Amino acid sequence: MKFHKAFKQALNMVLHSKLRSWLTILGIVIGVAAVIAIVSLSNSLETEMNSQFDALGGDLLTLTAGASRANYFSHGRGDSQEWGGGGATATEEGEEIELDRSDVQALKGVSDIKLMDTQISGNADIYYVAESGSVSVTGVDPSTWSQITTLEVAQGRMLGPADTNVIVIGGRIADGFFKKQLGINQLVTIESRLFRIVGILDDNSNSVYMPIDVAYDVIEDKERGIYDRIIIKVKDENQISLAINNTVKKLLIARHVTENTKDFSISSNQAQNESRAEMMNSMTTFLTAIAAVALLVGAVGVANTMFTSVLEKTKEIGIMKAIGARNNDILTIFLLNAALIGFIGGLLGVFFGGILSGMLPALMGQSGGMLSRMASGSSGISWSMVLITLFFSILLGMVSGAIPAYQASKLKPVDALRYE
Amino acid sequence: MTKQETVLLHLEDVWKIYKMGEVEVPALRGVTVEIKKGDFVAIIGASGSGKSTMMNLIGCLDAPSKGKIFLKGQDITKMSESNLATLRGQTIGFIFQQFNLIPSITAFNNVLLPLEFLEVDDKIAIERTRTILKLVGLDDKGHHLPTQLSGGQQQRVSIARSLASNPDIILADEPTGALDSVTGKKILELFHKLWKEEGKTIIMVTHDLNLAKYAHTLIELKDGQIISINKNFEVEK
Repeated sequence: MKFHKAFKQALNMVLHSKLRSWLTILGIVIGVAAVIAIVSLSNSLETEMNSQFDALGGDLLTLTAGASRANYFSHGRGDSQEWGGGGATATEEGEEIELDRSDVQALKGVSDIKLMDTQISGNADIYYVAESGSVSVTGVDPSTWSQITTLEVAQGRMLGPADTNVIVIGGRIADGFFKKQLGINQLVTIESRLFRIVGILDDNSNSVYMPIDVAYDVIEDKERGIYDRIIIKVKDENQISLAINNTVKKLLIARHVTENTKDFSISSNQAQNESRAEMMNSMTTFLTAIAAVALLVGAVGVANTMFTSVLEKTKEIGIMKAIGARNNDILTIFLLNAALIGFIGGLLGVFFGGILSGMLPALMGQSGGMLSRMASGSSGISWSMVLITLFFSILLGMVSGAIPAYQASKLKPVDALRYE
Repeated sequence: MTKQETVLLHLEDVWKIYKMGEVEVPALRGVTVEIKKGDFVAIIGASGSGKSTMMNLIGCLDAPSKGKIFLKGQDITKMSESNLATLRGQTIGFIFQQFNLIPSITAFNNVLLPLEFLEVDDKIAIERTRTILKLVGLDDKGHHLPTQLSGGQQQRVSIARSLASNPDIILADEPTGALDSVTGKKILELFHKLWKEEGKTIIMVTHDLNLAKYAHTLIELKDGQIISINKNFEVEK
């Protein structure tokens, strides 16, 4: 029998199948939809996370003071690190651990380092007209900050080396923080000092960036010459591990500490991105495994339906054999029938999975997180994913239907015809 | 009648033994018979005489326990299942008591199906199906599903299907068993027409002696053995 004729017979079998076959297809649909929804969701989540992490810069290191129990780079024991915390931490003996000019000097001797930005941060009150509010203030080195930071201005400019009483503000402060919108060259008061806005960031933050010298006056409890952290830009992003090693070595000597008594920590965005991506992957694998179980149940359903279908059609198989069908013809028809069940299930699964992955972020992320942004963004379903899913659905159907189809093809015509 | 001189089917000391646990039950015991081309044969006998077993063996639906069966000179007991299926499709047209049509496809497609298994060219197959449906008087019922047809009409579709591949032998198992006497008579008249006008070899299995009178050769079975082979020359007239 020609292939397209066998296909016609198989299609006819599916179209005239009973409710049970459609329930089997539903099993595949649920499994495939779950896989599609989970994979596409994690894909878009990963894309969103990557785009956010990429903005943090892969060539940046952050040096903070503190006897970290941990360090990412096998200098410690592997816990997560304090990110942008206080600059000074107390040791067990009560001695303050801090970053100061001597550390900056030491770092200047590391050839892998391209630029450094010394930073302090804290909260301060901002006043504009008759309104006030608390904002996060970061004092940065105005001569290097604009070259190191991954932030971008929507209006105005970044801070320059000669700047003193000027600030760059986050997008939220410019629009929405006060009743009146803030613009370039407008003046605001922060902790009794007057600042001129020179730049508005292209973000949604409540942050204020100002030259570190003035920041010491604005942020409480900050001692001049002591830094909360030093942001380091390395020369070669691909050699970041080497740069970290060299930096650590230099600092150990400069700070007169050993690996065991190390009182500083260095983290890289790249390493954080990688560990987050790893976490994300584990989560996706776990969720996909759950969905795969659903799909497996669907496959068992197909096998069950195919076995029943072969039993039900035993007499028809006998008739077909009597009028000239070869074993291969019967095998082809039944395999195609199983493949079609898989294909239809897969197609509907992709469709509903697509809808589901579109709806889930909107349902889960109403408070305005990453998920809600994903809802408005592009879907995580790609054509390749659709094709792979359909291919596997067909394969699943055929594998599940293989044994029943083989049994059908091997039926003796005389026995099949006698079956009632 | 020179056409009767060619032996189409030859059974040589054929045995069929069924095993019921430890017990062996012989359904056919050393049957030897020749069926010539263009004959109208009725295999008759009481229930349990071995008629159906003999039909299954003649139709290549089952293999004998012992002995040889030659169909058009080929020993079918030595053929592979695949070759046997093709030979079956080309040489034998089956007509069953319960019609055995595929319920999910139309009458037209039921008649077309054997030609599809034989991979006959679409155009020729469709033309042939139309011609045969006309021959059995159902050219206007092709688009009906079997369940939308009467018993007599279904049996005529079944006859059309058996004729589709232009086989040498038409093998009918109690062809009127599920029909009323009037419709049954019409079906047998159709058989007669196929035998007389189309020159088909017809082998009919029946327990009804009234039907057997339509046949030219009567083979009587009893307890798995042929007890008589008679010619009915009346029918030639």
